[in-house]
Amino acid sequence: MDQRQIEPIVRIQNFRMDFGRTTVIHDLSFDIKAGETFGFLGSNGSGKTTTIRALLGIYEPTGGVLHIDGKPFSPERGSRLGYLPEERGLYKKESVIDVMTYFGRLKGLGKQESKDWSLTYLDRVALADKASTRLDKLSGGQQQKVQLGVTIMNQPDLLILDEPTKGFDPVNRRLLMDIIEEQKKAGATVLMVTHQMEEVERLCDRVILLKNGRSEAYGTISEVQDQFGGRRSGCGTRARCPRHRTTR
Amino acid sequence: MARYNLGTVVSFEVTRTLTKRRFWIATLIVPVIIGIVVALIVGANSSTDNSVSSQKNQKFSFTYSDASGVVDPSIVKAVGGSKASSPSAAIAAVKSGKLDAYFDYPADPAKQATKVYGVDKGIFDNGKYSSVASSILTASAEAKVHDAKLTTLVKGDLPVDATTYDSSGAVSGGIGSVIPPLLFLAIFYVVILLLGNQMLTSTLEEKENRVTEMILTTLNPTTLIIGKVVSLFIVGIVQMLVFALPVVVGYLFFRTSLNLPALDLADLQLDPWQMITGALLLIGGFTLFTGTLVAVGAIMPTAKEAGQIFGVMMALIFVPFYGVTLIVSDPHALIVQVFTWFPYSAPVTAMLRNGFSSLSPGEAIGVIVEQFVLGVVVLRLAVRLFRFGSIEYSKKVSLSAVLPSRKAARAAR
Repeated sequence: MDQRQIEPIVRIQNFRMDFGRTTVIHDLSFDIKAGETFGFLGSNGSGKTTTIRALLGIYEPTGGVLHIDGKPFSPERGSRLGYLPEERGLYKKESVIDVMTYFGRLKGLGKQESKDWSLTYLDRVALADKASTRLDKLSGGQQQKVQLGVTIMNQPDLLILDEPTKGFDPVNRRLLMDIIEEQKKAGATVLMVTHQMEEVERLCDRVILLKNGRSEAYGTISEVQDQFGGRRSGCGTRARCPRHRTTR
Repeated sequence: MARYNLGTVVSFEVTRTLTKRRFWIATLIVPVIIGIVVALIVGANSSTDNSVSSQKNQKFSFTYSDASGVVDPSIVKAVGGSKASSPSAAIAAVKSGKLDAYFDYPADPAKQATKVYGVDKGIFDNGKYSSVASSILTASAEAKVHDAKLTTLVKGDLPVDATTYDSSGAVSGGIGSVIPPLLFLAIFYVVILLLGNQMLTSTLEEKENRVTEMILTTLNPTTLIIGKVVSLFIVGIVQMLVFALPVVVGYLFFRTSLNLPALDLADLQLDPWQMITGALLLIGGFTLFTGTLVAVGAIMPTAKEAGQIFGVMMALIFVPFYGVTLIVSDPHALIVQVFTWFPYSAPVTAMLRNGFSSLSPGEAIGVIVEQFVLGVVVLRLAVRLFRFGSIEYSKKVSLSAVLPSRKAARAAR
């Protein structure tokens, strides 16, 4: 499949974002094609989360075009989107199954369908016995698993994951990557913010590397490596940079 | 989808509130306290009644002297008393315990006190002396009148049916026409007092739980906020019903013991214009206050900080009551006009004036339009503040940062 012939599902053109007098994103442009897994790389504060929030209408952009399926995102189209934000959180005083059922219904699933799907998912991520437990009684990692379940329960066409494996132990990280890979195989387009090279290597078709709100590199992993040459990437520690994968 | 989600939000919010133990503890504590108070009053009243009737029925030895000539000796004889030979001897007999009591009726019992002397039987039982002395005097007076109708009239327990006319010659309603439209004012107070704090903190949960981003990408914020307001209203109705239950039970089954007045609904007059005006003022005022409280909640980072604003909002709905006399007596006074048109004191002032028929149709329409227009504007602002402000999880939101700029609006297109 020639990806360049496929219409982009996400299109960002000349995106600029100011907070007060500070410009945090400068003229950013990239697109994500349907069916691909796109890696969003960059060090902390480089503008990855800001870009995602502007794409999803949570922030109003100062300038530029941010489209999903050819239009600015609106929550009414949320049934096609799965979003795992960087700031994790659900209704902590409610039980796991009640929260999952609620979000399932908001995403267009029936009540019983939401409940059945949730119980199956909880069983898979070894949380079946926690279905009736209040969320604030779960560990941070367990809460993240529940939140990932909420994110993917509507079989989204576009999955946006902001550091999905942050805070997970290696076993659960592998489990989560398996789940993401399944979504990809089922046809979902994935936009993933990550600092983990293992995830980039295993899942991503193309990546963009942000530094100080500007695109530092953009393309397939090999293209990005070519663009880098011997330069430091600015994507965090050297051990995490795409360049080092090839030089290892 | 949006309508479907509104039902889902309402169902989720109502269910999770009504299934919480702490909600029922907080809600039931009021009727439980009212129930305990009612039980104590009923218990106290029945023991008082028993005590009074037992005191009246108690026989004891007594003598009397009567300077008024009102006391009927046959009535005294029937209850076991007799005329005293002399006041001083009777008092001495009481002091020595040979006689239980002595009553000294003055020349004018209506103006002068009847003196009662008795052997001490304890603080409660001593009341029987005064009861019997008074009963003898009343029965003797009624016997002298020889007319049951006149006796009733003298007692003053008379039914009166008053009719008054306004300046146009039409029958004016009196208190029966004031009560129905003022019920809207009572509902407004109960709703705001019960639900105000919950309105203020309704969107804070999303903020404090860091669930805002998940919600904003799943649900239209207008749907979320309207859903929360509707569910708050449903929860408020449940609370009001629970609060009203002991009052209804008390009225139906213990009205006499509680000395509650009999309600004759036939006395109430429902003026369609006043009732419609009252209902619209209630809905408009509720919309404005709800929108304002939700907007404030969207700006504040925590429930504690939002709570400080709540006191100010509550003061605003009580301020008109400082001028209630003026509102009733001189509705055209400047301060009453200010209260009538200032958006946050307008609902209470206008509902009061509507109840007392001093709100002209022009003023009523003006205030209702003001409440609805401002209510919708503030609700839209609240939605916007939540949409773009609640992402500032731990900071107070700056209005200038959230209100739309043309540049940003263009960019969004």
